[in-house]
Amino acid sequence: MKNKTLLLAKTLIKNGEGIGLKGSTAFAKAVVILVFLIIIPMFMSGIAFVVAALLGMLRQIGQEGIILTWGLAINSAVVFIFGIFYIISTFYFSSDIELLLPLPLKPRQIIGAKFIVVAVYEYLTTAVVFVPMWLTYGIKMGSGLLYYVYGLIIFLLIPFVPLTAASILIMLIMRFFNLSRHKDTVKVVGGMLGIFIGLGINVVVQNVTTGMSQEQVMELIQKGNNSLIGLAAGIFPTTRWGAEALVFHAQLSGFISFLLYTGFSILFYYALLWLGELIYLRGVIGLSEAGSRRNRTKQVQLEKTAVKGSVIRTYTLVELKLLFRTPIYFINCVMINFLYPVFFLFPLLVQNEEVSIIQELSKALNKPGTEGMILAGSFALALFLGGTNATTATAISREGQELFVKKYLPVSYRQQLTAKLLSGFILGLVAIIMMVLFAVIVFNLEWWLGLIILATAWLPILYTSLTGLLIDLYNPKLDWDNEQKAVKQNVNVVYNMLAGILPAGLTIAFIGFAFNLVWAIIVLVGFYGLLSFILAKLLYTIGVKRFCMLEG
Amino acid sequence: MRDGLKTERNGKGMIELTNVSKIYGSMVKAVDNLNLVIPDGEIFGFLGPNGAGKTTTIKMITGVLNPNSGTIRVNGKDIQREPLEVKKQIGYVPDNPNIFLRLKGIEYLNFMADMYDVSTDERKERVESLAKRFGMADVLNDRIQSYSHGMRQKIIIMGVLVHNPSVWILDEPMTGLDPRSSFMLKEMMREHADSGNTVFFSTHILDVAEKLCDRVAIINKGQILFCGTLEEMREHFKKNASLENIFLELTESEE
Repeated sequence: MKNKTLLLAKTLIKNGEGIGLKGSTAFAKAVVILVFLIIIPMFMSGIAFVVAALLGMLRQIGQEGIILTWGLAINSAVVFIFGIFYIISTFYFSSDIELLLPLPLKPRQIIGAKFIVVAVYEYLTTAVVFVPMWLTYGIKMGSGLLYYVYGLIIFLLIPFVPLTAASILIMLIMRFFNLSRHKDTVKVVGGMLGIFIGLGINVVVQNVTTGMSQEQVMELIQKGNNSLIGLAAGIFPTTRWGAEALVFHAQLSGFISFLLYTGFSILFYYALLWLGELIYLRGVIGLSEAGSRRNRTKQVQLEKTAVKGSVIRTYTLVELKLLFRTPIYFINCVMINFLYPVFFLFPLLVQNEEVSIIQELSKALNKPGTEGMILAGSFALALFLGGTNATTATAISREGQELFVKKYLPVSYRQQLTAKLLSGFILGLVAIIMMVLFAVIVFNLEWWLGLIILATAWLPILYTSLTGLLIDLYNPKLDWDNEQKAVKQNVNVVYNMLAGILPAGLTIAFIGFAFNLVWAIIVLVGFYGLLSFILAKLLYTIGVKRFCMLEG
Repeated sequence: MRDGLKTERNGKGMIELTNVSKIYGSMVKAVDNLNLVIPDGEIFGFLGPNGAGKTTTIKMITGVLNPNSGTIRVNGKDIQREPLEVKKQIGYVPDNPNIFLRLKGIEYLNFMADMYDVSTDERKERVESLAKRFGMADVLNDRIQSYSHGMRQKIIIMGVLVHNPSVWILDEPMTGLDPRSSFMLKEMMREHADSGNTVFFSTHILDVAEKLCDRVAIINKGQILFCGTLEEMREHFKKNASLENIFLELTESEE
């Protein structure tokens, strides 16, 4: 008898189609391959360089092993945070659930298969950090063959513990709270939970590292022989054994650590299957019957609601409504804009050192003569915020199988693209407004300078909205069965990040020239105005043509 | 039997397809050199088994797909040259009613009304009467997500009727409707055609076609096998057997 879990996992992966190359144009495929051949190796070699440099330093104090713990701990944390998202949508809200439930499968076979699918997706992200670290360490330290064998197995097991933790958390929540009527709310809350747990981990790590007195740390360092490993492995204890297995691979203690690491990872997996057998079905059955609470009391007030509006306005509003109401879109495209200040504020507030970063930054921001630099910095920040916003970079992809509706509407493609552009632009503006408010309130940025930033830094937002829409027009991912794939597993988001971050780097380099404010305004507005103008021209010519050619 | 392919009428039809072909990928011809005239004032049934090319043809008429060759005219206007003019005249009910699930029923109707430029007064009146006729008044404030398949079908049909198009194109419209709604829709189709408009719908249920249509075309493997009135078709196949038999015969003889 074949192993049904593996068989199912294989089918799900084939059906899932990871990064979305199917149906893309040859050009789009070439770009994807180019990115994978250039950007990712670049990123990985960057990590390799950092690891190599750190190794040189740490080796002198006999603490080189901490690199591996850090790497494993970071990977585990990332797996856990992404895992919460993945688990909610694949275990509970994926459209294949309804097809799987009637099949003669045991709950643990469904759970096991889905777990493997998620783990495989996680490998794609963990490999980027783990592989360069693993290889650099191995080569630099002249490790033996066993190191590489251990490393490969440890890599494959990285997702097991954090993903199991995430799965159990979600399964318990789904089992004991009747959330079937609040399907969308669950996704949003789950996603926020992931983000806040991520922030929490960040704080804990900072407190662990800064909470120890200087002497304690020095003492640990002086012990040498990789005594710091245990310190960094605080959150996911098994990462410690993983690191120790690699560092001491040539000794018996390394072998024991290796056994402990693999043993615990597999134990966790089986614990998950066991728990899944008990509680998975009760949580999942009935979820597909979307909450049908009828608002009989609330009859439609046609007097108020059935009012004619302009095409662009209505279309843009519908785009925004769908972004707000679809949990995955809400978390990735909407909420993120409101959360940026939180991301920046959080680390600042929890630091307990004598010199306040807030004060230092306030001083820097209010130094006379730096207004030009501050504006350039704001442009760079706006490019970063706009580039990381997935709204326009998924504007076409999000249509999915519904794209045909947009094709038969008697609305020109030009107008449709304008509305799509607007929806992303508006959300991008929110991010900029939040950041300026934050800077004015917390860092005492001069309010008039804040106003100048607001009056000009919408241009980089427009620029990234345009690049996003153009990128998505050329390589839309329309063939998906769950919304997660349209946004989270969409390579266009990464392209647009690059389209934002590369000129952000350019703009920061420009700070070095230290223009005064007037010149900074002229140069920055001129440059990004011209760039946006050209891109808008492109959107309304070849972009419109491309939209016309797209067939869902 | 190839002569059955020719359309008999030469008068100016509401929808005219001339030598239309659609190729998916590089080889498969979903629609192969199709000629069809759908006159106004009639209910025109488009019959064929699954995968015959019905939906592809309909999607080309509505502007969802671009034909690889040939021309499609609605009221004399070319869909490729004046797409917006053509689209405005068409009300299209797709075979998949699972769209805009996160909008409320009323939001969807307003969206469609705005896209088709319907005035405030007209839409109020139509939404009200349509909601009553389809028994949807109580659920317009709910998200479409919470609707059953049949209710989703109804809200789509209402979204079409709210802009009062002269040409109705319906892809398998009876699927999922309860008998009452189905009966009502048929009545509305009849009314619409009788007042000089065009109703073009696809189905694989022969019974529906037999009772409802003035004229039918039968398509299989992307080619029209027959086009004419039901009478003519019966005449054509003297056997007087039910349409089902004829249909089976038609599709089998091609193989």
